[in-house]
Amino acid sequence: MVTLIDKLSEKNRKVQFFSFMLFFMMISSNTIGYSIDQNNGVFASINPVKGVVKDNKGSALVGVSIVMKGSIIGTTTNAEGKFTINLPDGETPQSLVFSFVGYKSQEVAVNKSNTINVVLLEDASNLSEVVVMGYGSQQKKDITGSVSVISAKEYVLQPVNRLDQILQGRTAGVQITNNSGAPGGDVKIRIRGANSISGGNEPLYVIDGFIGADFRNLNTEDIESIQVLKDASATAIYGSRGANGVIVVTTKRGNNEKASISFTARYGISSAIKKYDLLSASDYAETVNARNVVLGLRPTFSANDVQNYRASGGTNWQDEIFRQAASKEYLIGVGSGTAKTNYYLSGNYQTQDGIVVNSGFKRYGFRANINSNITDKLSVRVIASGNRRENLNSQVNAGKNSAITQALSWAPTTPVRNALGNYTASDPTGSIFQNPSALANEVRNINSSTSANILSGLNYEIINGLTLDVSYGINFEAYQGENFTGTTASGNNQASAYRASFENTLWQNSNNLTYKKVFNQIHSFTATAVYEVQSFQSKGFATNASNLTFPALGADNLSNINDGGATASTGYYSNYGLTSFLGRINYAYNDKYLVTATVRQDASSKFKGANRSSIFPSIGLGWRISEENFIKNTNAFNNLKLRFGYGLTGNQGINPYGTFSNYNSDAYSAGTPFNSNSVTSGIILGNPGNPNLKWETTQQANLGLDVELRNGISLTMDYFIKNTSDLLLYQPVPNFAGGGTIPSNIGKMKNQGIEISLNATPVNKKDFVWETSFNFSYIKNEVVSLGSQDRIFTGSNVGSGLSTQSEFILTPGQALGSLWGVKYLGTWKPSENEAAKKFGAKAGDSRYEDVNNDGKIDGADFQIIGNGMPKTSIGWNNTFNISKSWSVNIFVQSLMNFDKLNYLYGVTVAPTADVRQATHVDIKDRYIPGTNETSNIPAFSSTDKTYLQSSRFVQRGDFVRIKNVSVNYELPKNLLKGFNVSLFGSVTNLLTITNYKGFDPESSSVTSNNDVDQGIDYGSYPNSKTYTLGISLKF
Amino acid sequence: MKKTLFLLMIATCSCSDLLEETPKGQVLGGFALQSVDGLESALVGAYKPWGSTWTSGFNTPATLAVLMGSDDLTTHKGSNKASFREFDQFSMTPLNDRMNGIWNGSYKAIQSANNILNNYETVLQKGEDAARVNQVAGEAFFIRAYSYYWLVRLWGKIPLLTKPEVTDEVLKIGLSEPKQIYDLIVSDLMKAEGLLANQKKQIGRVNKGSAKALLADVYLTMGGWPINDASSYAKAAAKANEVINERSVYGFGLVPNLKDLWNGVPSNGTPEEVFTLHFCGSCNWFTSNAIFGNASSPSEENGWDDYFTELNFFKNFPEGERKNVTFATTFKNGTLKWQDLATQHPYYKKFRLANGAADWQTSMQLSLIRYAHVLLTYAEAQARAEGTPNASAHEAVNAIRRRAGLAPLAGMTRDVFVNAVVQERAWEFAGEYTRWFDLVRLERVEAANAQKDPNELAISKPISKADYYLPIPASELTLNPNLKK
Repeated sequence: MVTLIDKLSEKNRKVQFFSFMLFFMMISSNTIGYSIDQNNGVFASINPVKGVVKDNKGSALVGVSIVMKGSIIGTTTNAEGKFTINLPDGETPQSLVFSFVGYKSQEVAVNKSNTINVVLLEDASNLSEVVVMGYGSQQKKDITGSVSVISAKEYVLQPVNRLDQILQGRTAGVQITNNSGAPGGDVKIRIRGANSISGGNEPLYVIDGFIGADFRNLNTEDIESIQVLKDASATAIYGSRGANGVIVVTTKRGNNEKASISFTARYGISSAIKKYDLLSASDYAETVNARNVVLGLRPTFSANDVQNYRASGGTNWQDEIFRQAASKEYLIGVGSGTAKTNYYLSGNYQTQDGIVVNSGFKRYGFRANINSNITDKLSVRVIASGNRRENLNSQVNAGKNSAITQALSWAPTTPVRNALGNYTASDPTGSIFQNPSALANEVRNINSSTSANILSGLNYEIINGLTLDVSYGINFEAYQGENFTGTTASGNNQASAYRASFENTLWQNSNNLTYKKVFNQIHSFTATAVYEVQSFQSKGFATNASNLTFPALGADNLSNINDGGATASTGYYSNYGLTSFLGRINYAYNDKYLVTATVRQDASSKFKGANRSSIFPSIGLGWRISEENFIKNTNAFNNLKLRFGYGLTGNQGINPYGTFSNYNSDAYSAGTPFNSNSVTSGIILGNPGNPNLKWETTQQANLGLDVELRNGISLTMDYFIKNTSDLLLYQPVPNFAGGGTIPSNIGKMKNQGIEISLNATPVNKKDFVWETSFNFSYIKNEVVSLGSQDRIFTGSNVGSGLSTQSEFILTPGQALGSLWGVKYLGTWKPSENEAAKKFGAKAGDSRYEDVNNDGKIDGADFQIIGNGMPKTSIGWNNTFNISKSWSVNIFVQSLMNFDKLNYLYGVTVAPTADVRQATHVDIKDRYIPGTNETSNIPAFSSTDKTYLQSSRFVQRGDFVRIKNVSVNYELPKNLLKGFNVSLFGSVTNLLTITNYKGFDPESSSVTSNNDVDQGIDYGSYPNSKTYTLGISLKF
Repeated sequence: MKKTLFLLMIATCSCSDLLEETPKGQVLGGFALQSVDGLESALVGAYKPWGSTWTSGFNTPATLAVLMGSDDLTTHKGSNKASFREFDQFSMTPLNDRMNGIWNGSYKAIQSANNILNNYETVLQKGEDAARVNQVAGEAFFIRAYSYYWLVRLWGKIPLLTKPEVTDEVLKIGLSEPKQIYDLIVSDLMKAEGLLANQKKQIGRVNKGSAKALLADVYLTMGGWPINDASSYAKAAAKANEVINERSVYGFGLVPNLKDLWNGVPSNGTPEEVFTLHFCGSCNWFTSNAIFGNASSPSEENGWDDYFTELNFFKNFPEGERKNVTFATTFKNGTLKWQDLATQHPYYKKFRLANGAADWQTSMQLSLIRYAHVLLTYAEAQARAEGTPNASAHEAVNAIRRRAGLAPLAGMTRDVFVNAVVQERAWEFAGEYTRWFDLVRLERVEAANAQKDPNELAISKPISKADYYLPIPASELTLNPNLKK
């Protein structure tokens, strides 16, 4: 292959390679070439300047930005560090500015020879880096808010394929939890904790100016920069959606006249991090028999049965549903730019099998970013991407319905298949639920989303310093959901299917007027005014059919149903709108004293009357102490800056129509059978509405310090307090009053925290460089008040059948995620028989704390038994560059100070509504009268009361995880001329240190949009250990 | 360029209409009950909470769990039946969620009925079809009465709501005495009787006769504990007698052969169904009846062992056709006798499926008031009210005995006759949500539990009147502490 390539001319080689790899990219390069040629006609004549940019060690620097001073004309260096820039001949070019992240910028005058070779010096400081702040950008040194910038350098060595994987553990104050380890699965992203109870705590994503974009569609290779806006001074500009922090992503632009192409391929193998230690079939049979004997029942298994199980081994259900799973991913990007037009095109294709059989994820997408300068004052741009995501059985966090739960519940004595070769329909001994293998293989839950996100805009400089930017954007998503349940997986031997089809349209118009001016060389002033509207509409319908005639056709044929089967359909419509005015002033005096003031007024359709609109102001102050002479003279700091910010942000993240009371009209809620073969449709009162619903408001104050020493060590520290009032909260309505929830504004919540991040290069030798970055955040959350109430209960519904009460409580003085249950005191001991009797128990039965000492355990004895919200998160990233070719990355991540209610463990050791016998080896260690009376695992008994909602099943979730270890080898440049080739290998989730008894302390059965009910693990999809190999080419 | 700029400025959206919510696709409170069609739709929804599988209502084995204090029901000593055992052993706590289905279902049905009853007169005034509106209102009165009847018998003092709105006042409501609840039930049923048509609209719904039969049952109960209103026996007898006399008008009667009544296949409506909920298991799992099938089968047949008969109840049950129809004594195609099962108990054949299938998503109907109830209510009430059982009372009980293959009763004194009828009710309605309520109203719970076979689950403590009622579910009490008894 190599020799074949060598024979081709360089140009042909690239074209061939390009077309080979771009088999799925339908945009032909001819079209692009055509448009460039056409545009070139505008300039009269051209003066090309060439050169090479290297570092002080003599290595070529790739991607250095070169801009003609005072213009927008620019380019970047290619893989060999070379550049060519076409300068307009008519104007007299004074100089070129060379800038590159991590290096000191240099300004070089253009000489007559038209060749400029530059050596850039490393600069630990990145103060002049431009940071995209939302509705504009700022140099890093001028920022007054708390903003984290993540550059590709930090993650380029890791096999990341979604934005959350980049953010995880890398930024102080940003906490990422993989609720579901399924490929393409649910992830929880929080910036500075959770402010809201029901209003949603998801950060706002702004991708290339599109507000509320879907980060799951973003190809990580397309990312140019990521900014995380954390405090109110930075986020208040997003007003009613800024309370949860904002993640601003900018995608790549082509900026090198010669097209640069990159291609990456990765292959991975994943497997379960760990498995449960379950009883063998013979041990299980003996344990069941032992229980029967104690309880006065006849044994379930004969001695012969036990013997046979010992010989055959029975069924290992975990092996039946877990597997080694393969994944692959291809990424390709091509970019180019001239003074007139630049473009960046990319494509990605990813398939990933899940570690649970019959689960997986597929994604592919394209992007085209095109900018063109029509005149020197007017430019237009189009940022477009099309994406497709398909999830197969990977979004299910289904409690008892999950194959994982059933694999741990079914008896190892029950075979996978019956004599006819079909899945065994029911387990006579263990679970009363469906066969795990059938649930895994006969259930097909497919969620697919096809979306197009297009933003086009123009930028016009009206007078010098005053620009108008107008953009229109649309995000269209076609969503298809289907669910098929096969005969054995259904529980009644009838296949059923469901389909939903939705189209979601979100459009926005944003009009931005910005004025920049420096007065008297010391007053630098930027003013921005924006008018913006957004509108969202979702329409769809869903149909389900039961008792399918042709199960083999799955959800694709819903018309043929057997006698007694039924179909039901429903339609859906939802909309909301938001209109906003906003303004911002940035002022800097002598680069020393900085002020940012913003104000935004939002009006939302979700609220009525006087509650409709609200104003969100903020102020940010910065003092660059390092610019003061008394610090300057110490010569110790590159930068020393004190920041303070204060502001208001809002939250409107509740469902539309909360102000209305409504009826439920779907078959589940209101369809009633009045005979044995049909259901009559009806309506039933749903959740009561609250016409007085209003905004939730968060006040945030932030004090920050940026320190950057001359030796390159940098430290950023922030302390913040957030007070949220008028909490949006779905308050439970008791069942005697009809049940459900009522949306309300109740009470106050407080979050305060500390964030520290430290960057250093402890070793910086010619052949060995160690760069390290460490971040730490601690957050304390507290419900301050609940209005006139002293407690509000919420429940996840995940544990339905296990929990008898709401699993979570909100009460002043306590944090979100407080687990509610009884306190387990171990087993009653023989000496305590009399006391036990009072509770209807005897020695060996479960003992709980009788809080009010009334001699019985009831609702009054419930207390807070743990908290599911992680309070401390730590990330530690290390990169070692060894010689020129080798890079090693080790990334450690940790979440601490949180508990998990491990229902899954519970159902393996205690009989529950759906499982009759214990499967876990721990049951061997149970209390046995006269033999093992110290055990706190209850004895076999007819009087024992086991509550799953008890401290017995609360386990510490703290973990430290070696999230990534990767090795990258860059082939010598002369091996393949014109190509930069890297080979890499990595292990994700290599090692997890935790005391948690479940599969994975990170995964959770509560979906990511919920912060109240966090920390329940009931068959959630665990994260996996993944080995990845890959190759990356650039030319 | 100025032109472009100008165009751009006006192209920016001035979209005040964006801020109007258009809740298309949602049925909202205001207009839903403005028409008879809307009322009928709400009525269908009002039946729903009684049969929302595993969520609320009567159609899961939890209904048998809460009645296990009686002598016709018990459960497994191990397995995962702790929450069932608590009722059998009188050790239930407010944390036991087996009782929530009936609590939640009854109250949601009450809210739905309240909504209809607070709106139907407005619709009548609009000149909509009065016959249809009245039928809706009659059924709604029945739904409210029957829901409160279960609640008051199981819990005693309960919150009494007659309006659908969730107000602060409602959220803090206290408990009402049983007498107040019974007054509402009686008044509702009298109204229902006046409004309902003679024929059921669908077999799973109710007619005038159903309302009368229920009222007779209510009066019979009011004659005993805790209301102890002896005068209501005469009312019970009179009301039951009306149903018996008008049975052909309502289409009621006994199914001649018990085998046809309990054949394990869904019925298309029999004359014996005075009030029966129907289910469609093949339509959806959440419209199925889970009392039948797995719940009433041993694990040896892939069943769940949820409930079965107590041994002495089985042993004392008079031999004959009825016993054969009521109990399953052999399993796995006759290869296992009940003594060979792990639980060593006979099971309820009544609640098993015809083909012995291990299934819980059944389409079996849930018989709540049978014509047989009307007959035995009449027999007992007449004897209690008038002191001597008359010929009609004898005929009523003997019709049941004849069908069961037993000799007729004759020549008994009042007390002997009454006790024989009560015993007849126990046999005839074994497992049918009747025995426990009989034991309670006649204050015989203690006596019935004193005669347990030593191999049964033992009761945890001496039974007192406090044990006649269930505790208010803890989840409700935590939301509204005023519900504390």
